[in-house]
Amino acid sequence: MSAKLPPRWAERFLEIVCAPHLFEEIQGDLYERFLRNARLFGISYARRQYAREVLSFLRPFALKRQPRAYSSPSFLHPVMIRNYLKTSFRNLTKNKVSALINLFGLSLGVTACLIIYLITNYELSYDTFHADRERIFRLVGTETRGSNEETHPVGFVPNAVPKGVREEIAGLETVAAFHNIKSAVLIPNGTEKPKKFEEGKRDVSNEEIVVADPQYFAVFKYQWLAGNPKTALNEPFQLVLSERKARTYFGDLPLEQILGKEVIYWDSIRVKVSGIVKEWDKPTDFTFTDFISMATVRSSKMKESINLDDWEDIWSSSQAFVKLPEGTRPEQLTASFQQFSSKHFQKDFKFIPGLQPLSDLHFNEEYGDNYTHKAHLPTLYGMMGVALFILLIAAINFINLSTAQSVQRAKEIGVRKVLGSSRKSLVFQFLGETTLLTLLAVVIALALVSPILTAFQSLTPRGLTFDLFSLQTLVFLLSVTVTTSLLAGFYPSLVLSSYLPALTLKGQSALKGGQKGYLRKGLIVFQFTVSLVFIIATLIVDRQLSYIRNKELGFSKDAIVSIDAGRVGKSDILAEKIRQLSGVELVSMQWFPPMGLSYMMTKLKYTGKTEIETDVSAKIGDENFIPLYGIRLLAGRNYVKSDSLKEFVINATYAKVLGFQKPADALNQFLDFQGRKYPIVGVVADFHEQSFHDKINATFLAYMPRQAQNLGVKLTSKGKTMRDLKATLAQIEQQWKEVHPDKKFEYEFLDDRIARLYEKEEKTSRLVNTATGIAILISCMGLFGLATFTAEQRTKEISIRKVLGASVTGIVMLLSGNFLKLVFIALILAAPVAWWAMDQWLQSFAYKVGIEWWIFALAGLMAVAIALLTISFQSIRAALTNPVKSLRSE
Amino acid sequence: MRRSYLGEFEEVVLLTVAVLGTGAYGVAITDELDRQTGRAVSISAVHAALHRLEEKGMLKSHLGEATAERGGRRKRLFSVTILGSRTLHDIRAVRDQLWDSISPQGLPAVSL
Repeated sequence: MSAKLPPRWAERFLEIVCAPHLFEEIQGDLYERFLRNARLFGISYARRQYAREVLSFLRPFALKRQPRAYSSPSFLHPVMIRNYLKTSFRNLTKNKVSALINLFGLSLGVTACLIIYLITNYELSYDTFHADRERIFRLVGTETRGSNEETHPVGFVPNAVPKGVREEIAGLETVAAFHNIKSAVLIPNGTEKPKKFEEGKRDVSNEEIVVADPQYFAVFKYQWLAGNPKTALNEPFQLVLSERKARTYFGDLPLEQILGKEVIYWDSIRVKVSGIVKEWDKPTDFTFTDFISMATVRSSKMKESINLDDWEDIWSSSQAFVKLPEGTRPEQLTASFQQFSSKHFQKDFKFIPGLQPLSDLHFNEEYGDNYTHKAHLPTLYGMMGVALFILLIAAINFINLSTAQSVQRAKEIGVRKVLGSSRKSLVFQFLGETTLLTLLAVVIALALVSPILTAFQSLTPRGLTFDLFSLQTLVFLLSVTVTTSLLAGFYPSLVLSSYLPALTLKGQSALKGGQKGYLRKGLIVFQFTVSLVFIIATLIVDRQLSYIRNKELGFSKDAIVSIDAGRVGKSDILAEKIRQLSGVELVSMQWFPPMGLSYMMTKLKYTGKTEIETDVSAKIGDENFIPLYGIRLLAGRNYVKSDSLKEFVINATYAKVLGFQKPADALNQFLDFQGRKYPIVGVVADFHEQSFHDKINATFLAYMPRQAQNLGVKLTSKGKTMRDLKATLAQIEQQWKEVHPDKKFEYEFLDDRIARLYEKEEKTSRLVNTATGIAILISCMGLFGLATFTAEQRTKEISIRKVLGASVTGIVMLLSGNFLKLVFIALILAAPVAWWAMDQWLQSFAYKVGIEWWIFALAGLMAVAIALLTISFQSIRAALTNPVKSLRSE
Repeated sequence: MRRSYLGEFEEVVLLTVAVLGTGAYGVAITDELDRQTGRAVSISAVHAALHRLEEKGMLKSHLGEATAERGGRRKRLFSVTILGSRTLHDIRAVRDQLWDSISPQGLPAVSL
């Protein structure tokens, strides 16, 4: 039978292509001819002919559809779009409260998103612009000292390693080493006094000067503005400057004329400019501007401080980068590095080289160095999460308010449907309304971004700018607009467009009874869960920070100034001069204050019943150190004044490590330091020497004249005002000027120095606080809108209740109770989430507050209070209205 | 009076409709054209021409009864309108007039 039929596909095709009003006759004609062809010429010819004829009907007349009698314009027709816009604006102006709430919430959400996007995008784009970036690696490694097999990852290498690696390890394309150095810069100026650029933050930042191999420019590509890239760093005493730096040193001289000019580093090392390169204008950690040729080291007094043949020790300033040939995986080199290590490091100090990808440089805190500004990836991801949740909360407001108000628009929908609107066009209309609102929000956000970025400069990475017209930003804005519109508008538009015109026009609510508002309630619960998590996080972060600020550190930090005098020498003279000043209580020659970013670990050996060799933190200062910082002695005495290392004082932890039950037992025992024995003369109570992330180490205090070249100065603060302290500082500066007339005076208060340890935590705290504020604000506005709406809707019910004798409190309870229940559920959901997240955060602290139940209770109480405050205004107003008014009118 | 011009093919189709009288529909017209003129015309071209002629108002159509030979599908039956008829007559008059004006020597002799 089927053999007698025309090809199935051709029939289907005709059905699809042919205009409906022509379809029947054409199909009939074709079939008639098919039957005759089959009779006359056989079935296969007939089938082929049929197909051919079907295809020949691909003509305009057969394709063109006949207009229907009752046509409606396409929903994208200009007339309809104008109509949608008009109704949108009417609706927005009619429901001013909810429109404003939505707009405000969405603007806040979009702004938060945009700013966080800018920050994360900036941080993530660090050093992503280099050519061959996936082939560039930093030479890093793990170091082991002594017999205890403890290994540390280090982001730097022994000075002799880069050369060794270059010569001995096959399969590396380029190896480039460089050293970060600090120096003041002198520019000779004919016969006059040379121009001077001080070292330090203001003039020459520490991240700018490097002594570099010529291969540096083979690994990292710069645009050369002057000089020959091939020879610029090959010889001793050559210097490549960045364009900006060349301008700083030499003003507006033409670049070609700057070549050959002299620059002096370290007071006497004269180098000549041999090249000028353009700075990169993209985010990078390689902010170097002065490149001194590596060959200079061996030919100048630099060799005294940079020993290029040093296999024994390791400095954070020694950096090396390698470029691998194409197709080489870093793992392929592991074996060679192992071999290299066992060949060269046979003594106490061991170092195994490794490779760190360039993309890891900006984020991995394990590999420390002197120049990169690390970004904390978990914080970045956390921020993205925060942005997402804030936007979600704002979208939820929109969903809740528009579904709640949908009943009011039921009539409009009924009329539209009767007039021929399809469901699709209604969905598009409502989505369009959401998009309009979102677009408005985006515009507001754009206006807000720049002021906010300036206001929060301390939170944002330096160098961050906002460029609206970059492609990335535009794409981001577009995707935010689309996602937000869909997120916020999709569900309401489905609900609205589903109304049946016959019911809505008769005046019945189209909402089905049972499932009324479950979604809305769920969303409110979600909003409050997020807000509560933020509230709990704020409480715990604040508690931890105030714990850090207020916990007894074990030493006094008030009115103590540290002066970095070591780098310029003559500290003893300076100390003596400062000691004479009336506003100064005590002066100590020291290395570093007891607590701060700088500390040193060293090895000490104690030979008692057994030999105990441990890493011990060293605090170096003269005999005034312990009294100046008010460190408490538990047993024994302070070390006495001397001119060399004679005696040790240790802390209680160390005494315990060495196995002494009572601190006093440790007295007069001997410690082995660098091959010589020294007696313990005192034991002090434990004091914090690092941030609260780390446990208190075994520590010793001693005087080593070579290290103790900085000054700690305790100012007399009793009964003094800030003015007096300032005056004393000015006097100290004067003394400094007398000793070092041409050096800059720099000092730092100890409490500032300690605060710097917690910069990251302070940032986290501010971030969480801001996020909490925004989240609570948006959620509350949503709640307020809903409360307003329910109160309005239930006016009649409330009036009847009042007439029947309900009390005002009863009605307020009735209206508020529902919402409070939701907040309660949110608290139950939020508590475990917040507990888990904050527990993770607190894990990183060695000294921390506990997460106690009352924090959750307090957070819940706050949420309830905030919710009540928001709702009660509306509830009370509704309860107080005169029932006559609302019942009289229909 | 504004005259509607007809293409040659349209004119032939219109004439064929007139020839077939009450039984003029797509297949029949195609067959008749084939028989009378010897041209192999495609059915879609005929449909297109019919459609155009109907738009010009020279043909009118109605759907006929369902017949079993077409799998139960109805035919669209065409008939010539007054306008169609007048147009055909006009064309013929012009042709006749032109023929009449040809002098006996005006055309080379053709042996039929």
